[in-house]
Amino acid sequence: MDKRDPFRHNVLTSGHRACSGCGEAMAARMVTDLIGPDAIYINATGCLQVFTTHNQQSAWQAPWIHSVFANAAAVASGVEAALRAKGKDTPVVVQAGDGGTFDIGLQCLSGMIERGHDVLFVCYDNEAYMNTGVQRSSSTPHAVRTTTSPPGRLSQGKHHLKKDVISIIAAHHMPYAATATIAYFPDLKAKVEKAMRIKGPRFLQILSPCPLGWVHDSALSVTVSRLAVETGLFPLIELEHGELTGVMRLAEQKPVEEYLRPQGRFKHLFGSKAGAVELRHLQALADARIRRYGLLDADTQWDTACAMQSVRHGRGGYASSMPTSEAVKNDT
Amino acid sequence: MTPKLDIEPGSSTAYHTGDWRTRQPVYRNKWPPCSQTCPASEDIQAWLALATEQHWQAAWQKLTERNPFPATMGRICYHACESACNRKHLDSAVNIHAMERYLGDRAITRKWSHKPVCDTPQTQRVAIVGAGPAGLSCAFQLARHGYPVTIFDAQAVPGGTLYSAIPDYRLPKSVLASEIDAILALGIELRLNSRVGKEISESDLRDQFDAVFLAIGSQRPRQYPGKESSRHRVMSGLEFLHRLNRGEQIALLSERKPKHVAVVGGGNTAIDVARCIRRLGAEVTVICAQDSHGNHHRELGTEMPASLQEVIEAETEGVQFIYRAGIRRLVRSGEHLSGIEIAHVDQVYDRHGDFNPVLFDGTEEFVPAGLAIFAIGQETDWQGLEQLSQSTQADGVWLGGDAVSKSKLAATAVGSGYQAAMSIMADLKGEPFVFDTHKKAQITFRQMSLHYYPKQSRHEGEVSEQRLDGFNEVETGLLDDDATHEARRCLSCGVCFMCDNCWHFCPDAAVIKKAGGYGIDDDYCKGCGICAQECPCGHIDMERLTG
Amino acid sequence: MKQLLEGSQAVAEAVRLCRPQVVAAYPITPQTHIIEHLAQQVANGELAAEFINAESEFGAASIVLGAVAGGARAFTATASQGLLLMTEVLYNIAGLRLPVVMVCANRAVGAPINIFSDHQDSMALRDAGWIQLYVESNQEAVDTLIQAYRIAEACELPVMVCMDGFFLTHTFESVDLPTQAAVDDFLPPFHFVRTLDPADPMTLGGGSEADNYQEYRSAQQAAVEDAQPVIEAFDAEFDDRFGRAHGGLLQAYRLDGAETALLGMGSLMGAVRDVVDKLRDRGQAVGALRLRCFRPFPAQALVRYLSGVQRIIVLEKAISIGAGGILASELRAALHQAGMMTPVESVIGGLGGRDLTPQVIESVFHETSRDEMGATFRFAPDHVMPDETDHG
Ligand SMILES: Cc1cc2nc3c(=O)[nH]c(=O)nc-3n(C[C@H](O)[C@H](O)[C@H](O)COP(=O)(O)OP(=O)(O)OC[C@H]3O[C@@H](n4cnc5c(N)ncnc54)[C@H](O)[C@@H]3O)c2cc1C
Ligand SMILES: Cc1ncc(C[n+]2csc(CCOP(=O)(O)OP(=O)(O)O)c2C)c(N)n1
Ligand code: SF4
Ligand code: SF4
Ligand code: SF4
Ligand code: SF4
Ligand SMILES: [Mg+2]
Repeated sequence: MDKRDPFRHNVLTSGHRACSGCGEAMAARMVTDLIGPDAIYINATGCLQVFTTHNQQSAWQAPWIHSVFANAAAVASGVEAALRAKGKDTPVVVQAGDGGTFDIGLQCLSGMIERGHDVLFVCYDNEAYMNTGVQRSSSTPHAVRTTTSPPGRLSQGKHHLKKDVISIIAAHHMPYAATATIAYFPDLKAKVEKAMRIKGPRFLQILSPCPLGWVHDSALSVTVSRLAVETGLFPLIELEHGELTGVMRLAEQKPVEEYLRPQGRFKHLFGSKAGAVELRHLQALADARIRRYGLLDADTQWDTACAMQSVRHGRGGYASSMPTSEAVKNDT
Repeated sequence: MTPKLDIEPGSSTAYHTGDWRTRQPVYRNKWPPCSQTCPASEDIQAWLALATEQHWQAAWQKLTERNPFPATMGRICYHACESACNRKHLDSAVNIHAMERYLGDRAITRKWSHKPVCDTPQTQRVAIVGAGPAGLSCAFQLARHGYPVTIFDAQAVPGGTLYSAIPDYRLPKSVLASEIDAILALGIELRLNSRVGKEISESDLRDQFDAVFLAIGSQRPRQYPGKESSRHRVMSGLEFLHRLNRGEQIALLSERKPKHVAVVGGGNTAIDVARCIRRLGAEVTVICAQDSHGNHHRELGTEMPASLQEVIEAETEGVQFIYRAGIRRLVRSGEHLSGIEIAHVDQVYDRHGDFNPVLFDGTEEFVPAGLAIFAIGQETDWQGLEQLSQSTQADGVWLGGDAVSKSKLAATAVGSGYQAAMSIMADLKGEPFVFDTHKKAQITFRQMSLHYYPKQSRHEGEVSEQRLDGFNEVETGLLDDDATHEARRCLSCGVCFMCDNCWHFCPDAAVIKKAGGYGIDDDYCKGCGICAQECPCGHIDMERLTG
Repeated sequence: MKQLLEGSQAVAEAVRLCRPQVVAAYPITPQTHIIEHLAQQVANGELAAEFINAESEFGAASIVLGAVAGGARAFTATASQGLLLMTEVLYNIAGLRLPVVMVCANRAVGAPINIFSDHQDSMALRDAGWIQLYVESNQEAVDTLIQAYRIAEACELPVMVCMDGFFLTHTFESVDLPTQAAVDDFLPPFHFVRTLDPADPMTLGGGSEADNYQEYRSAQQAAVEDAQPVIEAFDAEFDDRFGRAHGGLLQAYRLDGAETALLGMGSLMGAVRDVVDKLRDRGQAVGALRLRCFRPFPAQALVRYLSGVQRIIVLEKAISIGAGGILASELRAALHQAGMMTPVESVIGGLGGRDLTPQVIESVFHETSRDEMGATFRFAPDHVMPDETDHG
């Protein structure tokens, strides 16, 4: 356990230089603490790598390596092969941004999955190249303002749609691929733990709001990620061997506007005719995703309300031992 | 120097990101609306939290710090706490009174005893006049703190109005007696049949005691002002209940057994009387000057003062209600009462806020009744207490309970007894008295994140099917399992319940979990505000840093 | 035991003897036979390694990077386009100071696309921080590969063994393969101090800024420079154990008393030695010098060997477009620093698989200073018929 906090490892500890309220830092902290320090972490270039290692200082408390932007999955393949050759089964985990997953890293990732490496690939999806200053990626949603998809007289932000990467990944017929987000920790935890029980290539896409790039108040990172799910824009799903095996039902569908409003990256859409068209488009995209995955009528108890449960005295999170109340049970 | 290729794990902690912060999270307990509203100022959240862990006795102890009558109050208190409970914005209020009763009943069956707070006995003596809830609550606090206390009561049985007026089907005598016994067991002297001003003189009391608490209740019924009253066929509600509680059930309605009884009044006493009459086998109509619940006229008058729950119970038991009706006259046939002439009431209260109904001519109706019971309020009987009633705290005399408070509720009486005790002790020690400063930081549901709480239906006690067969209790208490679950429904408004949200969500690992709580590591907190935003219960405040 | 083997197979056998635990590669002519043989060895159970079919050379390089960081000995091979596709990762391996060993089956770089041999591909990687050893024969390829692992692991540096595509990879030669026991004696089991391991967690590849980036680079430069004596020592030790040496950093041929030195790298040196013999027979004072180790660049050794000659002809199979001969430029700088003004002629030839025949080499020797003033290099003449160069 960590020196400062007796109840968790803090695999990714304090003193990192992420922006205040960074959803990616939060997501990575959750994932790595769930997996623990007895694993080898491979990181693609991107914010997470930059803000955790800086001039001879590292926020990692587990074996961790960064090589280049595109090759994290291949480096992990090599690490895993080495461990296999040595007869060890230390878990191998890749962490990459959406750029390092959807775009430049997709080829290596595909190779890693196709070859069946026993690696968990975690994509922290903040929907743009944040580290280089908020340029659009293929993960950036439709109509979003980024520095390379600026709105102007002829444009309402990004012209293209967010790449459906989870379907591409799942099409490899790999054992496990799922989406998750920081707002639903019990769901994220269940998915990480499930992924860690499965052998072979596994993939998690974790929506990780970025206050800087999404232009929202730093306090709202969790709130915004919750709204992404509740509006249907970011479905939480699980795919096993290419088949949809789990969805998180929406207890109630929220209008996309509730999600878009707090984010400056959608601000240009409000107050103009052309913007209104895109707002309707975004709503239609949400509706289509809800229909596609049956988010409102799925036959499951697991919904956005129950996945929010905050349980007294901890959620059995990272640590095995929880503090107990001082009061004595003397009841005779 | 050659830089190292392998970097030390966790070496980033040398860099203090806390310097970036412009806002600072602060963990701060708030005072939930239930406690804010409870007239006895119970720390409801605290005892419910102990109950969630099934630390039943600890929960009972926490509760009784403010109110030594949980079994009683859980039955008869109109639980204002629940109408304030934030949980109603999510689904329905926590069943606080049922939990209270559960703990109280558990204490009675297991014979739990109250523990003194202070072992060193005090020498200054305190006299308490009146063994109602106010007097007993005050005595309880003083005795716990080591003061010798003597209670004087005019009646033969302690409990005040709780004993004398509240019918058995709501509060069995044995329950009240057990709780009073537990209080007295702290070493309180009780002198029954001792009316101050009659059996004991005011001056004796002043001479023998260092402080006096007057809690004599309001026990004199307000009489029907009409001249035409028949001695036999008209009665006050209080008299009816007193006689009933003394065991006069049969006698009450035996003389020419009336088929119809009219009860005049819109308060809880009226309802109690009406329900008792149903149990004695007669039809009953309640004539009430005010509107029914939820239908009150915006300009005129208000809702009837009786509690909605009581009205519903009464209606279920077959009690008839006539609203916005005032009494024109009693109608007699010979010696006997045949009914009441009523008329529509326009304005209920006059400019001074006094009950002074205006009746509209031409709206008269006849309500048949062989007996009319007036439950139109009580007054305090100051006879023989002329000196003491004029005294103040400066003279070493405190007043409390129904005798002085506007809201005539048992829990108010308990609260005023507590307050008096604290004030008396401070005075005897020569210290200044400050009351419940923590009440200041309130918390509303808007400061909370209700979406973190799953919806859960409220647990209730069972309602007896044969309720009209006698004076047995109508409602049973909660089952053990239900009690635990009901306690868990508490949102713990403003008070950390260790959900770990702040700990999980802090992107900077600046929230540190320790055995029994959490702390902020100022070296690393960047002040993002996520912890405060995502705390379900509003326990965390963000404060701007100046300079 | 001597065997007649194709160069690629000989290399594959040598790789097997070094017991790599992970082999990753992506096929490209003329490297393909090497990895095909390795795949077969793994399939046959002769080589206990993870054979990883990468999705690209970029991936292959990354996989061996990961494998070595994960604590395993690893091997890859590529050529040409593949090597360039690896570029980003090869720089990274070097910066991480990972002891990766690879074979570059030297091939021309497109466009126009060309599968045949020259040195353009590995020359393009000369600044990446890898040790580069250019071999002349298949026997040397075998021996150098074994030495390469020893060097890489001792110096914590990656080593690229460069062998000419087709001329070596696809040519059958008699090769003496050492025994496994002898190789095991020479090459200790893999051990790397910065292995990723939860028992000793460390952060590798973290960010650096102006405060210390230059120090990282100067340390890397010093490490590569310091590899020179190690390369020489292991070649000497190899000689002791196996009875074969390959000159360490460079290999001289009939340089004693020579007025002219012919300098080059790789398989072309066989032809150069034939030309030297022929010219010596005719009374010309000619010798040859083969540069085996191009990185680190052995400036002092070169100066030492060349101090007696009056004319140096550098035969180069690559060109720095817009500048000229790379080897000659570096040699000139070394001589200049040593205060020597020996003229260095840079002759670029053999590109894209063209034969540098003895006739061409000889004609180069006879073409004295025919360059226009100021030119730093010239291209070797086109095919020269035997009679044309036969000056008599
Ligand atoms: C019919 C009825 C039903 C009620 N139901 C509820 C209910 O459901 N819930 C609720 O919260 N409240 C209820 N109340 C109100 C509640 O009973 C009172 O608010 C509460 O009992 C007041 O407590 P107290 O201690 O101030 O006075 P009391 O309970 O009235 O006690 C005063 C005591 O002082 C004694 N006394 C008076 N004068 C003297 C003297 N000179 N010397 C010695 N002793 C003296 C009396 O004998 C009495 O025992 C009800 C009241 C009535 C009448
Ligand atoms: C080959 C290469 N191209 C471009 C870059 C510059 N670059 C570094 S990080 C980055 C974007 C990272 O985006 P993403 O993967 O989404 O991670 P994020 O920073 O958003 O977390 C880019 C373009 C690079 N380092 N390497
Ligand atoms: S005394 Fe009444 S108001 Fe106070 S907690 Fe109990 S039921 Fe609620
Ligand atoms: S939820 Fe609990 S703390 Fe909040 S008002 Fe209700 S009972 Fe009180
Ligand atoms: S979440 Fe962490 S960094 Fe943000 S304000 Fe709270 S303690 Fe500070
Ligand atoms: S978020 Fe949870 S653990 Fe943190 S202060 Fe609030 S209730 Fe307590
Ligand atoms: Mg990104």
